[in-house]
Amino acid sequence: MKLYSLSVLYKGATKSNLLKAAFDLSSFSFFQRSSVQEFMTFTSALIVERTSQGTRASVKEQEYLCHVYVRNDSLGAVVIADTEYPQRVCFTLLDKNPREADAMTKVQAELDETKIILHNTMESLLERGEKLDDLVAKSEHLGNQSKAFYKTARKQNSCCEIM
Amino acid sequence: MFLSQLPVLSKSALLLSGSDPPRDEIGLIPCPEARYNRSPIVMVENKLGVESWCVKFLLPYVHNKLLLYRQRRLWLDRQALVDITCTLLLLNPDLTTAWNVRKELVECGALSPERDLYLGKLALSKSPKSPETWIHRRWVLLHLLQKAPPADQNQTDAERSRLLGEQLAQTLQQEMKVCADAACRYPSNYNAWSHRIWVLQRLAKGNVKVFLDELSSMRPWVSAHVSDHSGFHYRQFLLQELTGALAPPAGCSSNGERSAVEEPPHDLPAVQQLFCHELELVSDLIRSFPGHETLWSHRRHVFFLWHRWKEQHPGDGGDEGGDPAEGAQTRLSQTSAGVPMEVERGCSSDPQDIKRLRRGVPLPQPPTSQTEHVFVSGLLDGCGPEQRSFALAYRKWLDTVVGVPS
Repeated sequence: MKLYSLSVLYKGATKSNLLKAAFDLSSFSFFQRSSVQEFMTFTSALIVERTSQGTRASVKEQEYLCHVYVRNDSLGAVVIADTEYPQRVCFTLLDKNPREADAMTKVQAELDETKIILHNTMESLLERGEKLDDLVAKSEHLGNQSKAFYKTARKQNSCCEIM
Repeated sequence: MFLSQLPVLSKSALLLSGSDPPRDEIGLIPCPEARYNRSPIVMVENKLGVESWCVKFLLPYVHNKLLLYRQRRLWLDRQALVDITCTLLLLNPDLTTAWNVRKELVECGALSPERDLYLGKLALSKSPKSPETWIHRRWVLLHLLQKAPPADQNQTDAERSRLLGEQLAQTLQQEMKVCADAACRYPSNYNAWSHRIWVLQRLAKGNVKVFLDELSSMRPWVSAHVSDHSGFHYRQFLLQELTGALAPPAGCSSNGERSAVEEPPHDLPAVQQLFCHELELVSDLIRSFPGHETLWSHRRHVFFLWHRWKEQHPGDGGDEGGDPAEGAQTRLSQTSAGVPMEVERGCSSDPQDIKRLRRGVPLPQPPTSQTEHVFVSGLLDGCGPEQRSFALAYRKWLDTVVGVPS
């Protein structure tokens, strides 16, 4: 039951800008952590770019669940967790505004589960003809090592490979 | 430049030693091209990394050397064999030949079993499932168990016994840690959990304290890994062992009387307490984390173990006596008011609780399929579709498999 990252971004006209992020990557092996962090930033930015204002959504990709909330004022937040972490708790976290007096009750009232869009893969966020591999290759969030990591991770879905 | 350095790189045993604290993790660094004409080995703190570009050169080079040795076309001294197998297994821990060479080295005394276990631990940090690593590990542990430590004339028998016991306990702890780390690195790591079970069966047979400690220490872990089926399966194993140790199935002696009375102490209330605690744990998790099939599957196993144990010990454990068939008609209309499973108890599956039990603290009501039905009904209001289907399936299982409420 893990929370990997929490990012706050601003959804600009053409792309989203990362404002602040926090990570807990202790469950990943040591040498993968920097790549994983870059990839989570890339994913968070992409998700906010493809999510309309005033929407909540959950995107599933392999063993990760990304929960996003983009406010009407274009401020967005993304939580990346594993599939065990309860969805409801994530959205409560995303909605938190510490300045509001009874934030929790306000959130509970607003949070109607039927209004959360569910995406079964990242691909469903993309436009027609867009490929995730292309976006990865072009991304400025990802270093060369991360792009290499992405390629090998795609291949290693079979557990019978020698290397 | 690089090819000439292959012999140096293959001396991995050197890389593993000489580090304080000792290396505890190895990893492959995805790096498609060599840069800056430098070594692919990266050492950060006590982590050892290998850049992936060198693998396609290094692995065939060392593998080939080992094969030539095996074919008797190349002589390698023992130290070279230790180095080469070490390098090979860090890159690919499923090379059985390399592990087998290490078995020979252990048997002739050129390699200490402890050193070999350390390599296995490192290999598992990169490949936590690796079947060959776990299989070899069991060979080494058996070897350790069978090898009698050299007789020291200055030691008394009692002292030798104590030292052996300490060594065993230390080995046990170490294995539990290795299994726990591997279980964290890969979800539902069946190989790691099976090894854990094997170790307990060999090193802690019948040791109630160890089993109770394991049950207790695994509680937070399974609560944080609610879909890890293997973790819950481990708890089922522990429960089974504990019921076997605390209250073996009652047999009849030759004159027809129940021999349970004459046998070593049966802790029947303790068994009931164990099952109550476990069902409370899984109830709490089912409510807090709805929609996880693993939890329902665990509940099935636990209730079934309890139900079968009850059938083998009729009339034991503070039961109120069986409910006849008319109980079945009223179970759905029962409110939650009188249901013991719902009562808040700040308990843990703690050896302390078992001791408290022995001092006469009253037992909770034993679980019955009636109480189970009430649990299910209580959940059905306002739950999501997944939880609902699991709950209904569980109820159906209760009716079909367990049958009439007891």
